[in-house]
Amino acid sequence: MAESLNEKEVCLHLAGVHKYYGDLHVLDSIDIEVYEEEIVTILGPSGCGKTTLLRILNGLISYDSGDVLYKGERVIGPRPEMAMVFQHFGLFPWKRLSQNIGYGLNIQGRPKEEIDNLVRHYTSLVGLEGFEDNFPAELSGGMQQRAGLARALATQADVLLLDEPFGALDALTREQLQDELLKINEAEPKSMIFITHSIDEALLLGDRVLVMTPQPGEIRFEMETGFGRGRDLEEIRGSQRFQELRHYLWGLLKNPDRKPGPLPDEPELHGTVVKEGAGNDDRNQTGRGHGP
Amino acid sequence: MTTETKPVEAMAHKTAGEAEASPFGWIIDPAIYLRILSVVVVIGGWELLGQISYISPSTFSWPSAIVAAFVDLTRTGEMMAAAKESSIILVAGLGLAIPTGIMLGLLMGRFKTCEYLLDTYVYALYATPVVALAFPIAMVLGVDFAGKTTIVVFFAIMPVIVNVFHGVRNVDPFLMEVTRSFCSSEWQRWRDLIFPSMVPYLVAGLGLSFGRGLVGMVVAEFLMSISGLGALSQDYTGELELDKGLAPVLLLMITGIVLTKLVNICENKFSSWRTHHEG
Ligand SMILES: Nc1ncnc2c1ncn2[C@@H]1O[C@H](COP(=O)(O)OP(=O)(O)O)[C@@H](O)[C@H]1O
Ligand SMILES: [Mg+2]
Repeated sequence: MAESLNEKEVCLHLAGVHKYYGDLHVLDSIDIEVYEEEIVTILGPSGCGKTTLLRILNGLISYDSGDVLYKGERVIGPRPEMAMVFQHFGLFPWKRLSQNIGYGLNIQGRPKEEIDNLVRHYTSLVGLEGFEDNFPAELSGGMQQRAGLARALATQADVLLLDEPFGALDALTREQLQDELLKINEAEPKSMIFITHSIDEALLLGDRVLVMTPQPGEIRFEMETGFGRGRDLEEIRGSQRFQELRHYLWGLLKNPDRKPGPLPDEPELHGTVVKEGAGNDDRNQTGRGHGP
Repeated sequence: MTTETKPVEAMAHKTAGEAEASPFGWIIDPAIYLRILSVVVVIGGWELLGQISYISPSTFSWPSAIVAAFVDLTRTGEMMAAAKESSIILVAGLGLAIPTGIMLGLLMGRFKTCEYLLDTYVYALYATPVVALAFPIAMVLGVDFAGKTTIVVFFAIMPVIVNVFHGVRNVDPFLMEVTRSFCSSEWQRWRDLIFPSMVPYLVAGLGLSFGRGLVGMVVAEFLMSISGLGALSQDYTGELELDKGLAPVLLLMITGIVLTKLVNICENKFSSWRTHHEG
């Protein structure tokens, strides 16, 4: 995995980005490189500045120092090469689903025929056929987020920015959508920055996981998951390595100031027993951490 | 935007139909009976009082007499002529007030500069009893069409400005960010977000505006050169024919009800996407 990624070009580059809200130091010297077609998940507790980071990447808000580059060009505002998927879906309640999905294309002034074709394609890709004429309020949260995803995909942006896109969904829907997101990304690969506060989600979806810690928000730790493309999420969930990594990340998040130990796949850690109970425990904890 | 989690992904769309009452639901609805009862008691009592009392019809009138006078005045053509005269003022006044009000509300809502430039006058006018402006307006614009129309404008414009202003101000900031994220231009933002979220406020404002416009029309006809329905009412009341004096009032009432109903219909039409909310 690592080798193939290194052959790809850097798509997004953050260098020493700082962000203050008044006296509040929200982001502290953030350095991230995202390669083409790479999925980077950013894992961190609520309030650590994940959304702020993503908004900076999208060019929605300014930053106080450092550099944000998209393929070498400084990001000074939103650009069509990046598309955002919002935590609370961000659909227009008065637009029907097809209009919502075609929104970005419409904004870009694409010809009507092209919009229709792309909307049809992405509507079926996210499994929303038959709901084109519904208003968002008539659909479940999961379906609304499918539409949010289709809207972002339809613009055929290079980079997908996802801000806890499945955070407001129930566990079942969430797993379903994680699976589908990976399938979609295999069919039409692009760079994704996926923000989450769920350890499981970060591990399952990411080629690389960045761990963010609060006050001020900084990237403390980075690892490649090594699960490879075409991964079977069910299989990963049941794997020993997944349990070890999640336990490791859990320790890291719980004690951000302790120097992280060696990764579980380092030789000295092989054979270390990971208590089954710990796994369930952390799932509950992460679930509780979120919520309106 | 609902944020609660739904237990099952494919939670049915179209649950709204079930919540709707069956076509004959009104038969067991107590509201309709209470209303009928109230109307029978009050209108019937009023009618009875008129029929049995010996009060002169010049100082007291009752429903059947007013309706009869209404028919009478309609037959002679007086009512139509007066209504036409009045409606010209009303339509001209509303025709000026509504677009102007929308424009001012939009500008003040979207651009802080416009708000700071204009809000002093809006709130001053909001606090002023507009009736008191009738004479100054008459001095400047005369007591005929221009003066009367201006009165109607002053009465009708406030709710439009204020509602449109609030509609624009209450635009969902998250959706605003969505439009920015997708690189929307300013006019696309108006088209996709600001207008649609402002419409329900506007329609509510129009309802108020029509009502106040009617008031302004009658005030103008009473206080300036006397004309239209106001004149008709005043003339007959002055001649101590109270039933004929009240007949134009009946027409005004009906007009008010019809306009309000129209606004309600518009309200439902423009917010069909809302009706399925919170099944
Ligand atoms: N517009 C803002 N003004 C002031 N403070 C803000 C603003 N947006 C976010 N913050 C603060 O910045 C910190 C990080 O917020 P955020 O990026 O939303 O965190 P996360 O997405 O990780 O939960 C929080 O303490 C939050 O209160
Ligand atoms: Mg957030």
